[in-house]
Amino acid sequence: MQEQKGSTFPSISTLSIVQMNDVSASYDSKDYVLKNIQMSISRGANYAIVGQSGSGKSTLLRLINGMMSPTKGKIMVDYKTPNTSDKKFKSMMHKIGYIPQNLGLIKNSTVLENVLIGALPRVSGFNSFFKKFSNSEIDNAKKILKQVGLQGKAERKVYMLSGGEKRRVAIARALVQKPEIILADEIVSELDHVTAREIMEVLAEAQATMKLTAIMVHHDLQLALEYADRVAVIKEGEKVLEIGVEGDRIVDFQSGNYTQREILEMFTNESKE
Amino acid sequence: MNQKNNLIIGLIIAGVVVMSVNVDADPRDFAEGLPNIGIMLKEITEVDSSLFVTAFWSMLETIQMAFIGTVVGVAISLPLSLLAARNLNNKFVYVPIRALLAAIRTFPSILWAILFVIIVGLGPFAGVLAIIMYTVGFIAKLQYEAIEATDADPMDAVGAIGVSKIQLIRFVVLPESASHLLSQILYIFDYNIRQTSILGLVGAGGIGFYIINYIKFFEYGKAAVFMLVVLATVLIIEWVSVRVRDKYIVKSQRGMQIKS
Repeated sequence: MQEQKGSTFPSISTLSIVQMNDVSASYDSKDYVLKNIQMSISRGANYAIVGQSGSGKSTLLRLINGMMSPTKGKIMVDYKTPNTSDKKFKSMMHKIGYIPQNLGLIKNSTVLENVLIGALPRVSGFNSFFKKFSNSEIDNAKKILKQVGLQGKAERKVYMLSGGEKRRVAIARALVQKPEIILADEIVSELDHVTAREIMEVLAEAQATMKLTAIMVHHDLQLALEYADRVAVIKEGEKVLEIGVEGDRIVDFQSGNYTQREILEMFTNESKE
Repeated sequence: MNQKNNLIIGLIIAGVVVMSVNVDADPRDFAEGLPNIGIMLKEITEVDSSLFVTAFWSMLETIQMAFIGTVVGVAISLPLSLLAARNLNNKFVYVPIRALLAAIRTFPSILWAILFVIIVGLGPFAGVLAIIMYTVGFIAKLQYEAIEATDADPMDAVGAIGVSKIQLIRFVVLPESASHLLSQILYIFDYNIRQTSILGLVGAGGIGFYIINYIKFFEYGKAAVFMLVVLATVLIIEWVSVRVRDKYIVKSQRGMQIKS
């Protein structure tokens, strides 16, 4: 990575929707959570970021949606620098569907109300104050609820739902935004294997039909390889490996200082614990 | 550690003793005065039942005053509390609003009542205004604290969609803090009924007017009628608010069903 320093935007491609050049980030300006991240995610990709807890992978997502700014380096998301206080970026924030690890649902509101929150950027301040949505918005929200497998549960309060159903609500809220990018932070980590795969199928189907770019953070390398076409492995804030799946072959894009074997061992050790 | 705790407790007890001497609070006076309770209790039992009708109507007036005061007070305090919440505004907005609320809170309701009696004259209207002021100062503080305690996760998640502040308030802040706000409104209504009962002391209407007058003329039996009506009313309100709380607040907080 060192030799790339100094060169300006070495690998910008018109196809890439997220571009990170030498990005470092820290919360307290002392310890870097992310160090010199080089990343290019092409439009329509199904990208996974894998790492142990505390490796900085959630921070990566917050950099992409502008909730956090990098300490060093440059990020471009759809040719704009993410920054929530910038009007230009704010007007495109609805294109990024962000599903945080704890989902951030309004537990006292109904499923439909939660999902309609995704449509708020298209609703005037006056109408939204009275929670007035047009019929087409409501129809669209209901269609998406059906798509994620929540038909008949629109009027349920969120606190009454199971863990898997709550994740479906969060996915539906993101899809109602009519996004171009979906960011999901460990959306299936706390679920059992069967439910986790159901949720991943819902996301995969939505991604295919709505032509989305999916960037998902996972804990489990196995799961990431199964669903993503490219997987970046983050260890202690650094991208140590980027592999892709082409057909039934794993293609190595960057193995950094670690061998694939070492990385895989790292993960198998963890799952034994 | 333990020694330090003992020292603190000792200091507090010493403080109580020294301050009691300072303010002339002597337990011996209490012991000497105990027989007076007997006289009072005896007279209180001589209830003048013909006054119950008057007591009922003046209690009704009190409840109406408390109701108006609570509703108007809450309606004023809700927008103020949204402006005073640190997680929604910058300090140029919340500092002045908080200062204003703190200033309002420095007066207890009885002082507001005196002030409004001077402004609008004797009668229930002065009492209603006093209750409004007290409710605004007190409930706005509780509300901005509840708003600040709103879970940061939904705020973050919805904020990341790029919604406006009004939309964030309407769809995240209010639903998330609704059960706290409702609980506080019930509490202040209950409290306002009790404090409206004494505003009559300064001529600001309500049942307190009768209580203070009969007590002034040592007619404890007559005052007792009014006190009993206040007691019964407070118990009824308490019962109703427990039912409302169970139905709307506890359930939504825990997601459970209360068996009645």
